[in-house]
Amino acid sequence: MTAAVEFAGVTKIYQRLFSEERVEALTDVSFTVSPGEVCGFLGPNGAGKTTSIGILMGFLFPNAGEVRVLDCPPGDVRAKAQIGFLPENFAFYKFLTGPKLLALHLALSGRRVDDPFGFIAGLLAQVKLAGYESLRISRYSRGMVQRLGIAQALVGDPQLLVFDEPTSGLDPAGRKDVLELVRSLKHAGKTVFFSSHILPEVEQICDRVVILDRGRLVRAGRLEEILVSGGRVEIVADHLPEDLKAALALPVERTPHGVRLLVEATRKREVIETLWTAGCDVVSVNPVKDSLEEVFLHTVGGAA
Amino acid sequence: MRIRVLAGITFLSLLRNKLIVLIFGVFLSIVLLMSSPLLTMKSMAGENQATAQGMIANLLSVITAMVSGFGSLLAAWSAADAVASEMKTGTILAILARPVRRWEFLLAKYCGVLMLMAVYVIFMFAVDNVLAWIAGQRIVTGSWVLVVYPMVRYAIYAALAMWLVTAMHPVFAFVIVMFAGLTANLVSPESLGAMFLPQWLRTALFYVLPSLNLLSEDRFLAITAATLNKTPWHEHAIALAHGLDYALVALLLAAFCFRRRALARD
Repeated sequence: MTAAVEFAGVTKIYQRLFSEERVEALTDVSFTVSPGEVCGFLGPNGAGKTTSIGILMGFLFPNAGEVRVLDCPPGDVRAKAQIGFLPENFAFYKFLTGPKLLALHLALSGRRVDDPFGFIAGLLAQVKLAGYESLRISRYSRGMVQRLGIAQALVGDPQLLVFDEPTSGLDPAGRKDVLELVRSLKHAGKTVFFSSHILPEVEQICDRVVILDRGRLVRAGRLEEILVSGGRVEIVADHLPEDLKAALALPVERTPHGVRLLVEATRKREVIETLWTAGCDVVSVNPVKDSLEEVFLHTVGGAA
Repeated sequence: MRIRVLAGITFLSLLRNKLIVLIFGVFLSIVLLMSSPLLTMKSMAGENQATAQGMIANLLSVITAMVSGFGSLLAAWSAADAVASEMKTGTILAILARPVRRWEFLLAKYCGVLMLMAVYVIFMFAVDNVLAWIAGQRIVTGSWVLVVYPMVRYAIYAALAMWLVTAMHPVFAFVIVMFAGLTANLVSPESLGAMFLPQWLRTALFYVLPSLNLLSEDRFLAITAATLNKTPWHEHAIALAHGLDYALVALLLAAFCFRRRALARD
């Protein structure tokens, strides 16, 4: 199956004409997103997320590497016809009203609907902007603008949705609505690629996670693989002598099943052998499932 | 369809552009203020009719040239701003995320600017006629000349500004277009300006820069009761084709430069 999004060895360098200043925004970044997946695109500020999205959308051009979107080069109108895009800080023609802006984007998307007015009213209701039809966008709150931006991304019935910080500016109820929307898009078989700083949200809805740090890819893979591969395992032993406890110097916790030790995966064999040598019985060994926030902070060294 | 929609929204944006509205308001005030000397001169007509008629005709020529020249400024600034403001605000990102090619976007912006200039030309036509009527004169020329020639001239200015703004700040683009237009007039064969330049350079600049003398409707505009010299149709055709060709080349260059332009919110 062709990937919905494919980055292969992408490098992007910003350099002004006649200037020594040189910023390597992306360095040899490679990852793929399969059709139907929800992919969270994570990284601290300045990691290169918006640059990557700019390249994906054909706004920026990489210095090296190749990008394919829906099996087309970025910026190709065949791909763009199937993409819904929400830029970070969505900008708009302020003198228009919400329905007029959506009508403009509907016309630009090339999609034909039988009842455009009903369709646009439905979209506005979906993002909870019904009742504000006559209000100019210049008078919208930040949250309302963000909702309108999401509605315009959906207007062309896209196969791939690219959201740059979709929940920014939204209140908790608004964020919940966006998460529900992403879930419903996933159930409808759409591919969603979105950047966010709110990791518990990403963890709730993502199938795949891509983490960038200072322009380099530091983690990419299925969410469940990333969460269990945090590098720690839980070992439960029937008992633990005090001298061994001091020698191992590990976090220890008493449970109804015995003594629970948290061990770096690299020390797993060593600790189990030490326990056996000391006459302890190992009851269970399980990989520890971290939260995405823990994995993220561990991966980028707390830079976020 | 997409180009038409984008051209329409560009036209509406330009009509709401505060800077354009402000400059236009100031300019209109100047034109209205200049019409008062016309009335004064007209009242003098009884005392020395020949002198007064000559002065009125001269003043009318100055005002019509001003109105026409302001159109060039408006065309250049509108075209530069139409593209630059989209990049500054970031609206271009949402638009170009749609199945719109970059050249289609530029062409739509250009059409939007030309729609604004069409409105301006109609306004200019009305102002010229109203002022001539106030002064008791008559504009003797074909109406189409007063509409088509300025439109072609403004098309050149707009295309040049659009080309330059794909690579630089709109203010620089605007200033360069204005400077190019001014230089072109100075180096034209009829002009006595810039004589310090060698002849070969004057000739080269005349051909390279937007030499608008050829496209000036002033050549055909006679604000007197005299009969207008008949201009053969092929002279009109050659002059307009030259202008449209210039605009087309500038627009193609704009599309070429914009093809690989990195787009991000400024």
